Amino acid sequence: MNLKKYLVRALHRLQKGPGYTYKELLVWYCDNTNTHGPKRIIKEGPKKKLIWFFLTLLFASLVFWQWGILINTYLSYNVTSSLSIGFKTMKFPAVTVCNANPFKYSEVKHLLKELDRLIEAALERILQPTPGNVSDSVSPPLDLQLWNQIPLVLIDEHDKDNPVILDIFETNQTAGDNETAASSETAGDNRSSEGNETTTYGETTVGNQTTAPPAPANTTTEEKKYKLAVKLCSHQGSNNCTYRNFTSAAQAVTEWYILQSTSILSKVPLHERIRMGYQAEDMILACLYGAEPCNYKNFTQIYHPDHGNCYIFNWGMDEEALNSSNPGAEFGLKLILDISQQDYIPYLSSAAGARLMLHQQKSFPFLKDQGIYAMAGTETSIGVLVDELERMGYPYSDCTMNGSDVPVKNLYSQYNTSYSIQACLRSCFQNHMVEICGCGHYMFPLPKGVNYCNNEDNPGWAYCYFSLRSSIKQRQICIDSCKETCNDTQYKMTISMADWPSEASEDWIFHILSYERDMSTNVTLDRNGIIKLNIYFQEYNYRTISESAATTIVWLLSSLGGQFGFWMGGSVLCLIEFGEIIIDSLWITIINVISWCKGLKQKRARARYPDVPPTVSELVEAHTNLGFQHEPMGALPRGKALPPEPGTPPPNYDSLRVQPLDVLSPDSDAETK
Amino acid sequence: MPGGGAGRDGIPRSRGGGARVREGAGPAAAPSVPGPPAAAATAPGKKITARLKRTLPVRGPQAPTLSELMRWYCLNTNTHGCRRIVVSRGRLRRLLWILLTLSAVGLILWQCAELLMNYYSASVSVTVQFQKLPFPAVTICNINPYKYSAMKEYLSELDKETKKALETFYGFSEGKTKVRRSVDEWNSTGSDFFQQIPLLKVEDFSRTATDLHSGQKRKIEGSVFHKDSSIVNSGDSNDIIGFQLCDANNSSECALYTFSSGVNAIQEWYKLHYMNIMAQIPLETKEKLSYSADDLLLTCFFDGLSCDKRHFTRFHHPLHGNCYTFNSGENGTVLSTSTGGSEYGLQVVLYIDEADYNPFLVTSTGAKIIVHDQNEYPFIEDIGTEIETAAATSIGMHFTRSRKLSKPYSDCTETGADIPVENLYNKSYSLQICLHSCFQKAMVDSCGCAQYAQPLPVGAEYCNYKKNPNWMYCYYRLHEKFVKEQLGCQQICKDACSFKEWALTTSIAQWPSTVSEDWMLRVLSWDKGQKLNKKLNKTDLANLMVFYKDLNERFISENPANTLVILLSNFGGQLGLWMSCSVVCVIEIVEVFFIDSLSIVMRRQWQKAKKWWNDRKRAGPGKPPQAGDVERQGHDNPVCIDEDLPTFNTALRLPLPQDSPLPRTPPPNYSTLRLETAFTEQLPDTLELGPH
Repeated sequence: MNLKKYLVRALHRLQKGPGYTYKELLVWYCDNTNTHGPKRIIKEGPKKKLIWFFLTLLFASLVFWQWGILINTYLSYNVTSSLSIGFKTMKFPAVTVCNANPFKYSEVKHLLKELDRLIEAALERILQPTPGNVSDSVSPPLDLQLWNQIPLVLIDEHDKDNPVILDIFETNQTAGDNETAASSETAGDNRSSEGNETTTYGETTVGNQTTAPPAPANTTTEEKKYKLAVKLCSHQGSNNCTYRNFTSAAQAVTEWYILQSTSILSKVPLHERIRMGYQAEDMILACLYGAEPCNYKNFTQIYHPDHGNCYIFNWGMDEEALNSSNPGAEFGLKLILDISQQDYIPYLSSAAGARLMLHQQKSFPFLKDQGIYAMAGTETSIGVLVDELERMGYPYSDCTMNGSDVPVKNLYSQYNTSYSIQACLRSCFQNHMVEICGCGHYMFPLPKGVNYCNNEDNPGWAYCYFSLRSSIKQRQICIDSCKETCNDTQYKMTISMADWPSEASEDWIFHILSYERDMSTNVTLDRNGIIKLNIYFQEYNYRTISESAATTIVWLLSSLGGQFGFWMGGSVLCLIEFGEIIIDSLWITIINVISWCKGLKQKRARARYPDVPPTVSELVEAHTNLGFQHEPMGALPRGKALPPEPGTPPPNYDSLRVQPLDVLSPDSDAETK
Repeated sequence: MPGGGAGRDGIPRSRGGGARVREGAGPAAAPSVPGPPAAAATAPGKKITARLKRTLPVRGPQAPTLSELMRWYCLNTNTHGCRRIVVSRGRLRRLLWILLTLSAVGLILWQCAELLMNYYSASVSVTVQFQKLPFPAVTICNINPYKYSAMKEYLSELDKETKKALETFYGFSEGKTKVRRSVDEWNSTGSDFFQQIPLLKVEDFSRTATDLHSGQKRKIEGSVFHKDSSIVNSGDSNDIIGFQLCDANNSSECALYTFSSGVNAIQEWYKLHYMNIMAQIPLETKEKLSYSADDLLLTCFFDGLSCDKRHFTRFHHPLHGNCYTFNSGENGTVLSTSTGGSEYGLQVVLYIDEADYNPFLVTSTGAKIIVHDQNEYPFIEDIGTEIETAAATSIGMHFTRSRKLSKPYSDCTETGADIPVENLYNKSYSLQICLHSCFQKAMVDSCGCAQYAQPLPVGAEYCNYKKNPNWMYCYYRLHEKFVKEQLGCQQICKDACSFKEWALTTSIAQWPSTVSEDWMLRVLSWDKGQKLNKKLNKTDLANLMVFYKDLNERFISENPANTLVILLSNFGGQLGLWMSCSVVCVIEIVEVFFIDSLSIVMRRQWQKAKKWWNDRKRAGPGKPPQAGDVERQGHDNPVCIDEDLPTFNTALRLPLPQDSPLPRTPPPNYSTLRLETAFTEQLPDTLELGPH
């Protein structure tokens, strides 16, 4: 009972908002709100009222409009960048050194013997001015099996519209029966004609003498008449062939040789390939890090398909990465390398030197992309500045923290290396290659259960590879699916070179190094193989660009508050006030609806009532004389609260007004207690 | 209880209680409009006004004086602080609050000024995007501009003179194998060059110079310029050689340029004459004298595919002869790379015919390359990278794009259209272009002819001795001014707002390697074909690889740090923090301090004027001042000042229409009346509660 009373009272108080009609409520709100505008509306004269009404409306809409802009700005997730430059103790970068040549020629000679003989013979034929001079001293017959898989052809462009394709060896073997092909696309476009080409086998009555390319000296026109091209067929003997032609024979030969040698080498197991490459103790002759000596054992060996055995200093895979806390060459890494240029594979790589690259710990070195050369017979000094870019991840920018959200299977994870965009792109390519060609390319790591491509098992792999490589669509797919890493570290290098060793010091340096490596008193090294490297931090060794969110939630709130405060002097409390008013008006609505419903019900009930409705005079009397009440209207049981004496005079308004005050006062008293 | 000025103005008139009166918002409206006519309105009119008064409780502050207005303002304003001044008790406290409020106002003004001043600041953002990148244009030149063999007919005279100078000064003559021209020829030919600009051996102490040609000594007049001023001259002054440039019109004005080393002197001297000769040769002939694309490019390979000279555009550079631009975008297409790495970039083998080099003009061998945007002019002499022969130069690129905000954030130009220097180059604006154009313009203006190394302005022609005998002196003078920033070019020219930069990492490897040298040279000779009569030497070749290290494009851009919205937010924050103020407060201040105070002052003046007028008109003492006193009393009377003045009137009249003059109820005093009015609103509520 008590509780019910309390609840009723609470309800009563709740219902009794600042007013019982909308107007009252509004006036009350305007009068009492902390927002600056509304008060003015009700306090001013009619004209000013109107002005203030529109001003308030204008300010309110301005506030909302600018709030919209601010929230939009916040949701666009802008970043601000801060740049810091200086010197601090930093992890020394991982240094990968490789030889530009992947294998020792002396070790791989037995594998490449046939190939070398072929290319030599082919070059002989191409370069000989007159065919009569062809030396028949090539005693063992050439193994044309290898040649026929991917042949080199000469394209005779004397007749621009109808170029004649000459096979270099077949002309000699099968006299007079050479192969001509009308390739329509080779003339205008220097790019390799893609797609199907109808190769017509025509009976040409060209003699043995003329089929061999005539001396280029005969031609007088400016245009070069002969071009070398690589013929690629989808499978051997098929008509589905393309010719990759080259403006330069040197380029064509290199390309052809690389194709053939990868096919041969891909069959060699990995440990054998590692054995054929350069060994750490042969390559790294001296090493000094700061003041501490180091040797080849401090390097981690990794097999790189382009460059054979590569050695990484300070990779940080097994042990802690080394720190460098001093700038200058004295505190950096000093290396002396031997690349033994005499043992290079002649046709595979024409540039000689060491390939080196600085990269982050635990990342795979992509030497073809980021590597630099160091020239033999020189001292190369590399000053390093670490250029870091630290970005915020999603939603600020579209980058990946560790590559786990990239939909490409990272094949380089078998090296235990971190994600990088290069790894992603190569993995993406290799995955496509496996999917389309059925075998993996030799230059990239293999997915599980797939073999490297070679001519025997996959005769059309080269065709497939080149069509895939030149496909713009494939590249775009890979670019779209790979994401860059959020933390991008680049090593800016200042490279300078000097001759080394100097002529005066040459003798003793070669002697000591030869003795240390080969235990021989003879000089086994020469200028063409020896390289000195200095890698050190510059005076300023880092430049870090780091991002921070330009718009934080604090920023948003203060800006929102600023706007609201600026136009209307409002705050969150004002919003709460407004909410309260809305709730109040809802209550009013509910009360109105309920009373309206009740009124409706009463009306219906009255309509159903058989009695005649009370007359006006009756009703008036009911109001004026409390003692005389109409029975059915006694729905107000509270009438008993009123004194029933009929003798009292009818109350006037004043006393009636005072009364509720008395009724209410005990309530408030009780509450205060 | 804040109120507008209108309400306050209305008060004196509101005795009439007419709503009509309140409409008079104008402060100048006569305050002395008498009430009685309004009061004489009919009963319904009165009723309406009464209701209006009730429903529109417009009561302005009673502020006939400024201090009253201030007091009212302080009590009723929305800004904090002011109220404290009025409410506080005690003089000290009030003073304290005045100080605090004033300092808060000062702080607000200071902070807002700071915000306004920092409005035009920019924040830098760096974005990295991995994408397909447009390959830049790569311009390749041979260091030697023209084939020496082809230039013989133009330069033989000059060379002879140079050789003679060498022999005279240093007793040097070239080895027997190279000297084909007979020595005795020297004396017979007229030496134009020495007459025009004589090479001199300077003896520092005596300030005399020995003329190379005539052998006669002459006194040096005019000023002496040491070209290598940074090098301190040692004692052996007889080694100093130089040349004298004289103003042809006024031979007494001469400038002697000396060099600490004869190498520099001879080269500079040679270059002057060389430019003089070259300026007279038409462009077509020069293009023929220089290297053709077939001469320069042996092989070309781009993005894994073969390319040839059709991908190169010829570009004639005055100092470097024919240069070839790969991917110049001339035919509308710009090649792009979608894979980084050395295999996918540009690989060219260049043929550098070392034997055909000009021995005096250039002393180094190789090629020069520059990586630039398609719209940029390649300033190969300024920022080119040199390529060594017999080596493979691998150039890894990293692409950065930058954009600055133009005015008012920084002083840069978007298109160069707002720079008052005509762009002589047919390329997009850059600072270099502007400086060169500016210099060339100054050259044409003051010397009457154009310098050879820069493009020709319309209607001008290159300087040469025949037409402009004076040009060299003029050029040197002008160049000196230019370097010392006296020409104003450095002030006029602004840097461009956006620019692209390719950061290059250059490294060199030996090429061809010793084992591949043999076949490489053979095959390349075959490539070179019929035009080559001899076997290639590896020092005639240079291998060049230009590639993207990665396809990350860095875009550094400046963005406005502030927008109007943020500025307003900051204003709002400051106003709110110090004084809880808003625009409404500002309007209040304007209203009170400007409109209202002005109106009060005006009213006062008006009253004064009126009083004075009345005094004068009546000229009778006594009466008028009394009336004035009464009026003033009306204002100063606290009862009248009471805001409830109109309600008092209505209250007096209210009982009349009610028609219930109950004797038991006492005449209501103000306070009860107020209470009652409060309850008139509450009464219906309580009644309404009943049915609920």
